[in-house]
Amino acid sequence: MKKIHIIGITMIVVAVVLLTNAAGDMSTYASFQEAENSQQRVKIAGELAKDKAMEYRPEVDPNYFSFYIKDMNGEERKVVLLAAKPQDFELSEQIVLTGQMEGEIFVATDMLMKCPSKYKDEEIYIKSGEKEI
Amino acid sequence: MEPIQYVGEHLTPGIIGQLAITLGFVSALFSAISYFSSTSSSSDRRWLTMGKVGFGIHSISILSVIVVMFFIMINRYYEYQYVWAHVSDELPLKYIASAFWEGQEGSFLLWMFWNIVLGIILIFKSGKWEGPVLGTIATVQVLLNSMILGVYIGFGDNPYKLGSNPLLLLRDTMNAPIFNNADYLALIKGNGLNPLLQNYWMTIHPPTLFLGFSSTVVPFAFAVGALIKKDFHGWLSPVLPWALFSGGILGIGILMGGAWAYEALTFGGYWAWDPVENMSLVPWLILVAGIHTNLIAKATQQSLRSTFAFYLLTFILIVYSTFLTRSGVLGDTSVHAFTEMGLENQLLLFLLLVTLVPGGILIWRWKQVPNPEKEEPTSSREFWMFIGTLVLFFSSILITASTSLPVYNKIRQAFNPAYIGEVITDPIPHYNKYQIWIAVFIAFLSGLAQFLRYRENSLTSRWRKLSIDWGVSLVIAILLGGVILLWIDTFVWQYTVLLFAATFVVTSNFWYWIKILRWNTKLVGSVSSHIGFGLMIIGVLASGLNENIITSNSFLMEGVIEGDDASLRNNVLLFEDTPVNIRDFQITYKGDSLDVYTKTYFVDFIKIEENGDTSEQFTLAPNILYEKDFSKIAAYNPSTKRYFGYDIFSSITALPQVEMEAEFKKEKEANLNYKTQYLSFENEITVYDTVINETTGSETINEFKVFLKGIDREPTHPEYSPEQGDIALGLEVGIYDIKAPDKIYYATPVIVIRGQLLYGYPVQINPLNTKIKLPDDVLDIIFPDESRIPYREIKLKKGERYPINATYTVTFEGFNRSPQHPNLQPKEGDIYVGGQLKITRNDNVNFWTEPVFLIRDNQPYFLKTQIEKIGFHSRFIEIDPSTETATFSIALEPPISRIPVEIATDSLRYDYIVLEAKVFPGINLFWLGATLMMLGLLLAVIPKLKKKYALGS
Repeated sequence: MKKIHIIGITMIVVAVVLLTNAAGDMSTYASFQEAENSQQRVKIAGELAKDKAMEYRPEVDPNYFSFYIKDMNGEERKVVLLAAKPQDFELSEQIVLTGQMEGEIFVATDMLMKCPSKYKDEEIYIKSGEKEI
Repeated sequence: MEPIQYVGEHLTPGIIGQLAITLGFVSALFSAISYFSSTSSSSDRRWLTMGKVGFGIHSISILSVIVVMFFIMINRYYEYQYVWAHVSDELPLKYIASAFWEGQEGSFLLWMFWNIVLGIILIFKSGKWEGPVLGTIATVQVLLNSMILGVYIGFGDNPYKLGSNPLLLLRDTMNAPIFNNADYLALIKGNGLNPLLQNYWMTIHPPTLFLGFSSTVVPFAFAVGALIKKDFHGWLSPVLPWALFSGGILGIGILMGGAWAYEALTFGGYWAWDPVENMSLVPWLILVAGIHTNLIAKATQQSLRSTFAFYLLTFILIVYSTFLTRSGVLGDTSVHAFTEMGLENQLLLFLLLVTLVPGGILIWRWKQVPNPEKEEPTSSREFWMFIGTLVLFFSSILITASTSLPVYNKIRQAFNPAYIGEVITDPIPHYNKYQIWIAVFIAFLSGLAQFLRYRENSLTSRWRKLSIDWGVSLVIAILLGGVILLWIDTFVWQYTVLLFAATFVVTSNFWYWIKILRWNTKLVGSVSSHIGFGLMIIGVLASGLNENIITSNSFLMEGVIEGDDASLRNNVLLFEDTPVNIRDFQITYKGDSLDVYTKTYFVDFIKIEENGDTSEQFTLAPNILYEKDFSKIAAYNPSTKRYFGYDIFSSITALPQVEMEAEFKKEKEANLNYKTQYLSFENEITVYDTVINETTGSETINEFKVFLKGIDREPTHPEYSPEQGDIALGLEVGIYDIKAPDKIYYATPVIVIRGQLLYGYPVQINPLNTKIKLPDDVLDIIFPDESRIPYREIKLKKGERYPINATYTVTFEGFNRSPQHPNLQPKEGDIYVGGQLKITRNDNVNFWTEPVFLIRDNQPYFLKTQIEKIGFHSRFIEIDPSTETATFSIALEPPISRIPVEIATDSLRYDYIVLEAKVFPGINLFWLGATLMMLGLLLAVIPKLKKKYALGS
C-alpha cells in the first residue's frame, strides 16, 4: 500500500469521526416544551402571534424586545430578544430563534426571519402612491 | 370580450428580444454539436467552422438580448414585468446595471455574457483545443439559455414551463383589474431596485463574482476536452493560466461579497459561514487544489487524475452552488438566497448533466489516464503539495456536508414526509472548530514544502541548508508570533497554534523568496499568495477574537432577566447632545440631516486614554434610507472609521418608532393630549404635566412656565418650505421647567395658509417631552377683520408728531427707500417706499414700525404692519411728493391677549438613536492578506503568458 493511500484512509476516518461528532451541533427545531425540559440552547421555529403585544421601547431599554411566538405545536410563549427590534419584523412569515428557556420566558440571542420577498406580494403601485390589488 | 387595445405599449423590443433568446438557444445547440463533432474527425475543418459560426450567432443573439433589456430598462417601459419589478422613475441611471442583474434572469444573462467573452478569446487562443473546449462552453450556454427561454413544453392543463423569460409583459404575468384600462401604463410606476442594493457594491460585486463563476468553465472544458481527445498531458500547460485567472477573480469576487457585508450592510462582519458564502468558497478551494495538482502534474506527471477530478469538480460545485442559492432549498438557513421561481427542476437537471456526463467520461477514461507506478518520495515537494490538496479537498467536504443539510433534509422528507429536518444550532462555532485545523495544516505545509524540490529522492545532501532555512523561518515566526500574540491578547491554545502556523507561513515564504528565489519576480505570485494566506489568518484571529462591541452595556440594564448574559446587550441609547461614556470613548449624538430619502445621524467620538485624557476626536455618520413614501425604513447603513491598526464600525439599530413608521407617527400625533393655553405678552402661564411612573404607580407633577416672546410673520420651520403667496405665522414661545428656570427652550410653531388650505407645523421640545402647535383660530386673533378696525387717516411731514390718545404719540421719522416687509418681494418695475413710524408711550418706551407703499403695474398697494404688543395697526396710503407729506391710516386697538396655543406634555421625546459600535482590530491585515492571496494568483498568470507555449500550442 502506498503512503498516499494510508494518508487518504486516515483522512476518511477523521472525516467520518468529525462528521459524526458534528451531529452534536445539529438539532431539530425544538418546541417550547422541549426547550423547557432540556434547558439547553435550542433552535425554535415558529410564527409570530400577531394578536399578542409586542414591546420594544428603546428609550427604556434598547436591548429588550419582547413578543409572542407560536411554536410548531401551537404553543404560545413570550420571547425576549436581547437586541434591537429588527426591520420588517411584523411581516415575517416564519421566525427561527436560537436561545433557551429562562423560567417561563424564552430568551433568544439570535433570530432569523423569513420574510416574503419584496416583489412577491404582487402589488401594483399606482402613480399617486396609492396601492391597488 | 373584445381584446383591449392598449395605449402606449412598446412591443417591438420584446419581440426582437424573444427572437434573440430563441436564436441564441438554437445557435448554441448547433455550435455545441458542431464543435463536438469536430473532435471525432480532426481532418474535417468544416465542423469547426460551423461551430465557430454557431457560437458567433449565439454571441450576437445574447448580446442583442442584453441590449434590448437595457433599452427597455433605460426607457422605463413598465409594460415589461422585469422593468416594472426592478426599475422605477426615481432610480438613477447609474443603477440600471445593478437593476439588470438584480433578478435571476438578468444574472443568468450576466453569466452568459462572460462565457461569451471567454469563449471568443478561446476561439482565437486555444488552438487545437478549440473543438472540445468551445463545445463544452456552448453546451453550458445551451443550459443557461434554457433558463431564460420561457417556453411551455407538453400539452394539457399543466405544460412544463422551461425557463423564466425576462421579456414577459406585466399584463401577461398577473391578473389585475387595472389591465381592463387601455391606458394602464399612464397609471403604474415601477417597483425599483431594492434600496439595500443601491450602492456601488451592487455595481461591482456581481460582475466580478460572475466572471469568477464563468471562468471556472475553462478548466472544466479543458479537462473534458483532454479526456475526449485522450491527450492527457497536452492540456496541462494551456489550462494553468486560465485556472490561475479563475482562482484570482473568483477569490476577489468572494472577498468583495465579504467587504460589502462588512462595509455597507449591517451584518457586522465579513464572513458568517452562511450557506451562500460557503458554497462560493468551496469551488474556490477545489480550484486551488486543482491548481496545485496541475503544477505537480506539469512537473512530475504525478497527480494527473486528481487534476482532472478537481477541475471538473470546481465547475460542478459552481452549478451546485447555483442550484442551492436559486432553487429556494436553503430557505430559512440563509440570509441571502433567491426565492423560488419554478426553476428548481431545471437547475437540478443542469446539475445532474454537468455532474454525470463529465463524471462518466472521467470514470470511463480513468484507467487510461497515466498514473506512474513509482510513488512520490516523501522528501519531494509534490508529495507534500499533494497532501495539501487533499487537506483542501477534505475541508471542502466538511463545509459542503454541513451546508447541504437542508438538501439532505429535503431528500429524507421526500421518502418520509414525517421526517423532521435537522439544522445546525450555532453555525459559526461549528465551522470554525474544524476549519481551524485545516488552516493550521495548510499553513505548515505551504511553509515547509516551498523549500523542497520536485522529484527529490533524498534530503541528505542538502539537509544542513534546508534545516537552516526552516530553522530561520521558524525562529522568526516564533518571535514575531509571540509579539502578535501579546497584541491579540488571547491565549486559547488552538488559536495560539493557528497564529504560529500563520506567522510561519509568512516568514518561511518571505525567507524562501529572498534566500532561494533571490527576489526573483517570476515566482512572486506563489510567494504573494502564501504570505497573503498567512496575513489573512492573522487578520481573522485579531479581528475575530478581539471584535469588541464597545457599546455593550454590562452594568446598566443587568438583572432585567435572570441569567441574562450582559455581553449580548450590544446597543446603546443616545439622546441628542447628551454625551455617553462607553468603553474607551465618549460618544455624543449631535443631530441628523435629511437628504431626499437618506437620513444621516452624526455621532461624535472622543477617545479617552487610560489616564483620562481625551486624545482624538472624529465623527461617524451612519445613515438610514427611507422607503419612497417614508412609510418605513428600507435600509440601515453603517459608518466606519478606519485606522491602520483597527476599525471602528457603527450602525443604527433602532430609532424612535415615530421616526421609523409614518403610520405610527400619524396615530401618535392624533392621540396626543393637546390642551389649549392662552398666552399674552404680559404674563407667563403655568402648565402642569402629570407623569405616572408605570412600575410604582406614583405620580409626579411637573410645572412648566410658558410665555410669548414674539410674533414672527416670516417664520422658519424644518418641514416648511415657503412658497409665493403663503401667509405664514409663527409664535415664538418660551418654555421652561420651574425646577430649572435658567434652562429656557424656545420654539416657533408655525401655521400657514396656502390657497384654501391650512398647514400646521408643530414643534417638539424633546427635553420636556412637550409638543406645541398653533390652533386655527390663532389666525383670527392675529389677523383681525380689517373692516372692523376703526382706522383714521393722518397726514404727517417728516419729524411731525401726532398724539393718538393720552398714552401714545406717533412720530413720522422719514422715508426708507429699501424697506423690509414680509409681503414685499420686489419685482422689476416696482416703486416702493417705507414710512418709518415711531410710537412713543407716555413712559418713554418707543416702538417702531414701517408700513410700505408699493406701486406695481400702476396699481397702488398698502402693505400693512402691526405691533401686536400695543395693538397698533398702520398702512401707508399716500405720498405727496411736492410737500413731502405722507398719509397713514392708523388704528389703536386693545393689545392682543389670549393668543391660543396648543400644548401637549405627553409627547415623548424622540431625539435619540440606538447605536451599535464595534472595534475590529487588525481587520486591515485580513484585507491586505486576502488581497495579496488573490493578487498572487493573478500575478502567477503573467510568467505563464510570457512563455510562448502557454497559449495556443
